[in-house]
Amino acid sequence: MSFVKPLKTPILLLLFSVVIFSCVKGVDLDQTEEIALTPDLQVSLLVFDVTNTDFIDKDTGEFTAVIRDTVRLEFLDDSYIQDDLNNVEFSFRYTNSFPQPFRNKISFLSENDRVQHSLEFEINKGEKDNPAVTEWIEFIENERIDVIKKSIKMVVEIEVLPNEDAFEGELKFESKGLFSFEF
Amino acid sequence: MRLYLSCLSLLLGIIFCHGQNKQLLYNVNGLPQSLLNNPGANVNFDGHIGVPLFSKFHISTGSSGVNLFDIFDDSNSDVNKRVSAAIRRLTRNDYFTLHQQLEILSFGWRLGNGQYLSAGVYQEMDMFAYFPKDPALLVNEGNNAYLNVPFDFSDVSFTGEIMTVYHLGINKRINNKLTIGARGKLYSGIFNVASTNNSGKFITRDDPNSPNFYRHFAENIDIRVNTSGYASLNNSGMTVQESTRDLLKRSFFGGNIGAGIDLGATYNLADNFRITGSVLDIGVMYQQHDVENYLYYGDYETDGIEPLFPDVVPNGSTIPYWDIFEDEVDENLKDETLNENYITWRPVKFNAAIEFGFEEMFEVCDYRRTYKRRNYNLIGVHLFGVKRPRTMNYALTTYYDRKFTNNFRAKISYTVDDFSYYNVGLLVSTKIKKFNFYIAADNLAGYFNLAKSQSASLQLGMQFIFKKQ
Repeated sequence: MSFVKPLKTPILLLLFSVVIFSCVKGVDLDQTEEIALTPDLQVSLLVFDVTNTDFIDKDTGEFTAVIRDTVRLEFLDDSYIQDDLNNVEFSFRYTNSFPQPFRNKISFLSENDRVQHSLEFEINKGEKDNPAVTEWIEFIENERIDVIKKSIKMVVEIEVLPNEDAFEGELKFESKGLFSFEF
Repeated sequence: MRLYLSCLSLLLGIIFCHGQNKQLLYNVNGLPQSLLNNPGANVNFDGHIGVPLFSKFHISTGSSGVNLFDIFDDSNSDVNKRVSAAIRRLTRNDYFTLHQQLEILSFGWRLGNGQYLSAGVYQEMDMFAYFPKDPALLVNEGNNAYLNVPFDFSDVSFTGEIMTVYHLGINKRINNKLTIGARGKLYSGIFNVASTNNSGKFITRDDPNSPNFYRHFAENIDIRVNTSGYASLNNSGMTVQESTRDLLKRSFFGGNIGAGIDLGATYNLADNFRITGSVLDIGVMYQQHDVENYLYYGDYETDGIEPLFPDVVPNGSTIPYWDIFEDEVDENLKDETLNENYITWRPVKFNAAIEFGFEEMFEVCDYRRTYKRRNYNLIGVHLFGVKRPRTMNYALTTYYDRKFTNNFRAKISYTVDDFSYYNVGLLVSTKIKKFNFYIAADNLAGYFNLAKSQSASLQLGMQFIFKKQ
């Protein structure tokens, strides 16, 4: 078998050189710094359904044209919002079977109740069997995103705009936020 | 028949082969390490002693679905597109492995009755994780593009362990045809983490019958991460020296312990034709010390927060809607940390091979030696399997083993597994008198550019091997 002996050194050298001179090429590992996760999260926010009885003042029993409620959105203060929120698109939808239109105001307040952002629109009047749907989309782009980051409360205020028709019906509210992050 | 078996094995391998293994050391009967792969191997030496800490170092890593180049290709500037493409392309059954062994002590000797005893100590690390497909999609893309599509948390499944293994094996020739062997193992656990059998789904539905745009569901969430040897290092504020001392203590049965066994056999169908097989690490670990379990479980669904109008309750205070919402979530989706003992099974492995020799050679006759290599050339087919949380992962190898001289042999292998269809490996083993050195590397083509390789494996060691003349 003497003819195979000369193979010993080349085989050893081959294996050593393959292992020792192994390399990583064609890649740029500095790109790790550019890696960003960019989830778009759809989140339900507030939802409610009011009828004419909700416009009766609980203390006095009198009709009141304006009702409002405030909800703290504590997650707006979390680090992933403060550090990584890029933009947000709010969607609001009212389904109104009252024969009256409403004026709607939605505000985002800071901890000390300063208005950071607000929007107003009119809710179309509907009919008992044919409710009117009013939709509103509010996009807060990256340049203005601080108004959301500084907010912690969301206030919904509804004012009925009376007319001759009987005040009877149902007003449904739906809302969601499409939060776009860049982690 | 041989051809038929080879073709069948190759076909099976191509269809569902996965895994990492030590195929280059299997059936290399001139090396003591073959006894660790098959305690019933036909070893042809009479004693061995490894150079402490240098008798065997093994490291292998693998990724079944993606490599560095797929992500960090320097000719393409948009790394995030490639990350997203990789996440979409990978499946929940793709996996990542990292395996490492370091032999601390290794020795063996042939008894007067011809049996061969071998013993030693080695440190082992084994990390395995399936790609958490759905959670990764949720984190990377969010739920916006996946309305009504469940994100399945059963995709989360991983195990990891670091331990020291103390072992003693015996190898016995039953007759001219059959050799059997067994190896008892004591495991001294250093670290363990296991999160398998998770369940639960997160879904965002846009059902027109629900009161809001979307209803979010967390269904049957049951996630558990068991750890041992982690909490004390994580929470104690120990210095590096104290941590090192603690880790060393665990290496000497100062932590969690377990026991296991390897079984193996060789059957010579003819002088130049044999079958071998082994089952390794039929073992269990009792995780009792420094145990911490992290649980997250429950069901919850929500349409959002529902204000009641007006925002004050009769006593004049405002309604804390958010606190009520958080309490409700906490009541339904529990987050607990426990200290419950648990049991882990070692990833059991099996090997099976058929081997055929040709070109006869002659060795000095010694009736006590169980095996005399009779052929310069050996070819074989080797099937390897390892039990992972969801399934067995397989690898199929064909090899050619050539003994060039009494002091030099080489083995070349071709392996089909989940990482590559082009895995060619090479082992060389050489002796200078009693001193032996071996080195084996898998997936050689991958070494030319590791960035494009999905697996790499390297084994090397040195020892003294004694053989009676």
